[in-house]
Amino acid sequence: MAENFEAKQSAEDAAFVERIASALRAAERAHQSFEKRLMDRVRVEGATLYPVRATSQTSWWRRERVLRISPIAGLALAAGISAIIAVSSISIGSRLSSGGTQSSATIQRASATDTVQLVRFVFVDPRASSVQLVGDFNEWTKGATSLKLTGAPGVWAVSVPLSAGRHEYAFIVNGTRWVADPLAVKSSDEFGTESSVIRVAALRKSET
Amino acid sequence: MTGSSDAELIAAVLGGDIDSFSGLVRRYQDTCARFAVRMLGSRVDADDVLQSAFMRAFRGLRGCKDPEHFGGWLYQIVVNECRTYASRQRKREQRFPSAATAIETAVAPGSEEEVDLDVGGHIERALSALPTDQREAFLLKHVEEMTYEEMAEITGVSVSALKMRVKRACDTLRGLLDGVYHG
Repeated sequence: MAENFEAKQSAEDAAFVERIASALRAAERAHQSFEKRLMDRVRVEGATLYPVRATSQTSWWRRERVLRISPIAGLALAAGISAIIAVSSISIGSRLSSGGTQSSATIQRASATDTVQLVRFVFVDPRASSVQLVGDFNEWTKGATSLKLTGAPGVWAVSVPLSAGRHEYAFIVNGTRWVADPLAVKSSDEFGTESSVIRVAALRKSET
Repeated sequence: MTGSSDAELIAAVLGGDIDSFSGLVRRYQDTCARFAVRMLGSRVDADDVLQSAFMRAFRGLRGCKDPEHFGGWLYQIVVNECRTYASRQRKREQRFPSAATAIETAVAPGSEEEVDLDVGGHIERALSALPTDQREAFLLKHVEEMTYEEMAEITGVSVSALKMRVKRACDTLRGLLDGVYHG
């Protein structure tokens, strides 16, 4: 008797849910201008993000590139537990005088054809056994970008090619601990998780 | 490029043929639109969120590890964007009516507003009264007709938690719409 009641109740529930869901399954169309608006934005960023692959004879490893190394000084945390040195951005090219040097000229030539810049992220924590970098540039994928120990004890580093613009990032220490860079601008999401912000400057025409 | 696979389109974009991305947009925009509109209760908001989601996908295209399953990866981004947007909206304003108000407006014809969609305003309003996580789970399960395993992959939530959310959503909807549908 009780089983019959439960079976009947379950069938009624299923029918009720199906009635609602079938109405909600009605097709929905994106606005007719959706694709055009989107593709307008895509084309603006696309040339920088995905430049047409070079067909010249020059191998990729022989092309000149702009190297942006920004060692931000590490911050020793209280009790000497850990210190973090965050990313930085010292633009070699932009710091050169307009008069230019041989180096400057080399970098300027490179900047005309190469829009991705190498940014070095450094993290200091003598007690860390692993350090990973997550950010919008790797879709916040844990394990996608691991820092490697440098020669100095407790100093971890990795260089990442970044396109011009604003990027958010954070470190994951020992696989679980989320650490935002204390020296960088902070960004907080809706759930209160803090990450850090780095801005990679676009190379100006004048630099070329 | 309409006959090209997702992986072929992605490879073309990564190689500098930016316009190939439009093939992916055309392929997925309507499917994503249905979820976003139902989730947010507004076509205007859904449009904003989808623009943002597709741009995120475009920027992170190199991070799509399985290009043949671009759709699932994109869906993950859309779900996350909707979640963030709904959360932000909830903070800013009490956008969605309370459950009690929802049923009141559900049976009061003529009180049309932005969420009056083709499928019937009363269902949309009842749906909008659900907590975001329950609404999301209900839509993925019963409207997008995903398996719990697929839902878990997309949302990052365990199967058991998702089952609970769907059950609670169904119970709440039943309470809100019983008067309309008489069971």
